[in-house]
Amino acid sequence: MSMDTWVLVTDARHVGAMLAAARGLGTPVTAAVVGSRALAELVAAAGPDTVVWVEQDAQIPVEAYAARLAAAVVLAAPRVLISSTAPAARVLLGAAAARRGSVVLPAVVDLAADGDHLVVQRSAVGGAVIETLETSSPVAIVFTGEDVEAPVGSPAAIETIPADLPASDLCLIRTEPAGGDSSGVRAAARVVSVGRGVKSKADLPLIEELAAALGAEIGCSMPVADDLGWISKDRYVGRSGQHIAPRLYVALGISGAPQHMEGIRDAKVVVAVNSDKDAPIFRTADFGIVGDLYEVVPALVAALGTT
Amino acid sequence: MGTNGKRGLDDQMKTVIAYKWARDGERAAVREDGSVDWRNAKMTAGEDDPAALSAAKAIAAATGGALVGLTIGDGDASWALARGVEQSVSVTDAPTLTDNAQTAAVLAAAVRAIGNVDVIVIGDSEQHPGVPVTLAGLLGWPAVVGIDSATARDGRLEIVRKVGDDHQVLSLATPAVLGVAALSAEESAPGMKELLAARKRPLTKMTLADLGITVADAVSNRGSHLPATKPVRVFDGDPTLAAEQLVGALRADGAL
Repeated sequence: MSMDTWVLVTDARHVGAMLAAARGLGTPVTAAVVGSRALAELVAAAGPDTVVWVEQDAQIPVEAYAARLAAAVVLAAPRVLISSTAPAARVLLGAAAARRGSVVLPAVVDLAADGDHLVVQRSAVGGAVIETLETSSPVAIVFTGEDVEAPVGSPAAIETIPADLPASDLCLIRTEPAGGDSSGVRAAARVVSVGRGVKSKADLPLIEELAAALGAEIGCSMPVADDLGWISKDRYVGRSGQHIAPRLYVALGISGAPQHMEGIRDAKVVVAVNSDKDAPIFRTADFGIVGDLYEVVPALVAALGTT
Repeated sequence: MGTNGKRGLDDQMKTVIAYKWARDGERAAVREDGSVDWRNAKMTAGEDDPAALSAAKAIAAATGGALVGLTIGDGDASWALARGVEQSVSVTDAPTLTDNAQTAAVLAAAVRAIGNVDVIVIGDSEQHPGVPVTLAGLLGWPAVVGIDSATARDGRLEIVRKVGDDHQVLSLATPAVLGVAALSAEESAPGMKELLAARKRPLTKMTLADLGITVADAVSNRGSHLPATKPVRVFDGDPTLAAEQLVGALRADGAL
């Protein structure tokens, strides 16, 4: 077994954080990229020692290359594999980890070498605790640590791996617009989001007033878009909905279920308004008001207008 | 069809729905020192299990093939049987494991024991994101996870997933693993009639010994602690005052 780390990359998100975590181990870092040449070049400049690249055909999903990449991983036998939570990246990780016989650990926020052992910090119980785990086995990590800006340095060399795809096991049939009007939420600098704490659809004008005062788009948690149907599903923020990175995120009556928090992982400043002082969202929020949103929201609108 | 090499072309697809394969983290009690009491946390249906079951049913309906439930550990296996699945397999002594690859190994061994499986549909759990993908890796099957829905067409799987503002429709040959992420909570829980009928449906109990495997975590737990949360600034008391303080703090922070 080599002591190297391989970071598996299928898109540009969280590359800086994963490479920084890998570099922290003090051993050689290879970035394995499945995607476009532009992605490979971006990653090459972000600090790995080497880049191996599988060129993706635009009509073939990344997952189709999993077995090919796993074969390359088996040859190199790295100690550590790292991926983001992105579905395609995880498929690469699972294929490689199974071939490599790696321990597979989710929600890892930090890792360090301790002699022959690898010490891993991972988030558990829906983010309520950080567990410290130790192993001497090869390990495959789904990394969720805080994102850091990737440095831009002199690029590492890019080595091309031939794709060798089996015929049409997996292919893209078509792409169609999902409909709705989510782009406003996705690109917005400020988002006001509502959860189950809002009692009736008739109360939404109250929220719209705050959004207007803030110059914010409106988003929501899964039940508000789905069970209740008050707001377009395309504005639902969460793991299977929109992943957003606004400068300011205001969560009104949202408890902070893990699947919702996944959608706002990259938000810069999070404000929570909730009547339950123990709501999980207060663990992640930067600012909070414990109180009835029906009193707090009008007060916020007034404060924004007068101060 | 029958692309796993064991069956003729005329055979129908056999679809496995994997459910209740993880403990319910919300039932675990976190003590003040950051240690965790898991005693009340049983194996439970994950939040993505209903969406996975919907996709599995759609595939089975499109092919006319069999749908088989698969669960592990100490949970109540009737969850799927009360939701229209005709038969289920439970690996009753599967322990709770930290290593997602070990959980995947139990599921993979059970799938091999069920035999002639073309498709495994499993909830793409946010808490255990390594399980569906490593299950596919251990079987050597392709996988697509984070999907919205799936069905079968012309002997292949047709998958819908959201990428940015678009829906992608993918075509995938079998055998394969599909990880489904919930877009919604379960729409309608079964009633008493379904629950009673579930008790009469066949449940095959297996043990790790029956499957010929042993599983153990190759990872040790040094303990847990409360996360070093960002120091959240909470304003409470009079709403008007709290709102003014919050707006002032956001302006000072540059967020407004």
